Amino acid sequence: MNQTKEILKTIGFTMLSIGLFLVLWTFLAVRNPDFLPSPLICIEKLGQMMGRPISRVSLGGHILSSLRRVLLAVFFATLIGLPLGLAMGWSRKVNAFVAPIFEFLRPIPPIAWIPLVILWFGVGEVSKVFLVTLGAYVPILMNTVTGVKMVPPVLLNVGRIYKASNVQILREIVLPAALPAIFAGVKTAVSSGWMIVLAAEMMASRSGVGFLINRGMEAYDVAMIIVGMCIIGVVGYLISIVLTFLERRLCPWKTNLE
Amino acid sequence: MADQKAISASIEVENRNKARERRKLLMISLIGLVCFFGIWELVVRVGLVPIRYLNPPTMVVRTFFTKLMDPKPDGATIPVHFWASFRLALCGFVIAVIVGIPLGWIMGYYKIANRLIRPLFEIMRPIPPIAWIPISILWLGIGYQAKAFIIFVSAFVPCVINAYTGVTLTNQTLVDVSKTCGASKWQIFRTVCIPSSLPLVFTSLRISLGNAWSALVAAEMLAATQGLGYMIQQGRNFVRSDIIICGMLVIGISGALMSAGLAFIEKKATPWRTEK
Repeated sequence: MNQTKEILKTIGFTMLSIGLFLVLWTFLAVRNPDFLPSPLICIEKLGQMMGRPISRVSLGGHILSSLRRVLLAVFFATLIGLPLGLAMGWSRKVNAFVAPIFEFLRPIPPIAWIPLVILWFGVGEVSKVFLVTLGAYVPILMNTVTGVKMVPPVLLNVGRIYKASNVQILREIVLPAALPAIFAGVKTAVSSGWMIVLAAEMMASRSGVGFLINRGMEAYDVAMIIVGMCIIGVVGYLISIVLTFLERRLCPWKTNLE
Repeated sequence: MADQKAISASIEVENRNKARERRKLLMISLIGLVCFFGIWELVVRVGLVPIRYLNPPTMVVRTFFTKLMDPKPDGATIPVHFWASFRLALCGFVIAVIVGIPLGWIMGYYKIANRLIRPLFEIMRPIPPIAWIPISILWLGIGYQAKAFIIFVSAFVPCVINAYTGVTLTNQTLVDVSKTCGASKWQIFRTVCIPSSLPLVFTSLRISLGNAWSALVAAEMLAATQGLGYMIQQGRNFVRSDIIICGMLVIGISGALMSAGLAFIEKKATPWRTEK
């Protein structure tokens, strides 16, 4: 009984808060409609954008092309980051060799690579995927290294006692034990990739959600920008839900770290 | 006696082995760095990669020293660009901290505030700060306000959320003790809840500073007349890879320094926190 009351209270306050927000928004929008279109106009704009393609790509097409860039980049980032991370976590020598170079490059935000990457590969698809890969491999690599280093020594010793070869230990013990950490890295990589792809698309692109909001800016169409931002937020949120679901399926033995 | 001698001797051997191992790893690290810079220098000098695309490290260092004084070709020296970016970052960041952290504290302590404000946060949270760039340029122009606003947005959300989480995670025993000793609600809030949230707050500050710094670079690349992001964007327009790489390194190093500075302040501000 008490619990249902609590839930009802939460729902009520949520509605109240969103309602107040919408009222405030509409109030501001009525005063300067050029500056801030009202929520209704934004919904209308969304309908319009769903019906008519924007620069020859439909709205779904824009979302898909951004998603494809991110997923492709995360795939490449895993291809690079996972083996390198395993090697760095496993061998102190490899770690000593690679870590300083990595630490030298790491503080440079991926977005700061944009001019150089455009200079190298032009403004095409390659440069966007490369940029997102640059941002995505960092969390994957770091989490893999930590994951491998945190494998309980007891497990390793059991493997050694049973005379497992190094390859067996790596495949049967280290990889499963490190998998939750690695997957957490992939999760971070996808969400930061979703941010980097925006920046890359805003700089130079013909498609993608970053292109959408930049187009809105160039056309002085605030409604389009707001719709684009909402789409970016919703897609980002959905991605994180899907990844959490996958995580539960892939590593059910993961104990909550908190 | 003899046993003890043997033990101390073996400890000595062990220590010596450890020191040797450390020296070896240090050597490997140095070799790694030398290889990295050597290959970088060589591929350009030999001509595998045209100098337009990649400048060797020696030239980048030289460009850095000339750019310290020389405003050509993008109109300002490195210190001027750096100051332009740094001032913006500081301004937006300080406002976000001043507004965001108390808000998070209040949300953590007063249930009604949390219930009212929280839903709006959950809606705003998934939107990356970079997505705010176009709208803030339309609203505030390409001047410093738009960029300060972007920094504000990227730092504000993590500040509020972590200050909130920090307060809610306060050890209940401490709260009970203060209640028993007759502390008022305000006293508990001020002397128990706030200090116990500080470590989380500082973590969020470090994370959001990194985000804010890269969002600022993006904003400066899109619309600015000054700043480090503008400098590297101009480097691309003039096809001067030395300026781009030099700018990237300045951005990276200053970002790392700022985060180190915050870590230092954290240590001073939360002296009760034991090292792990």
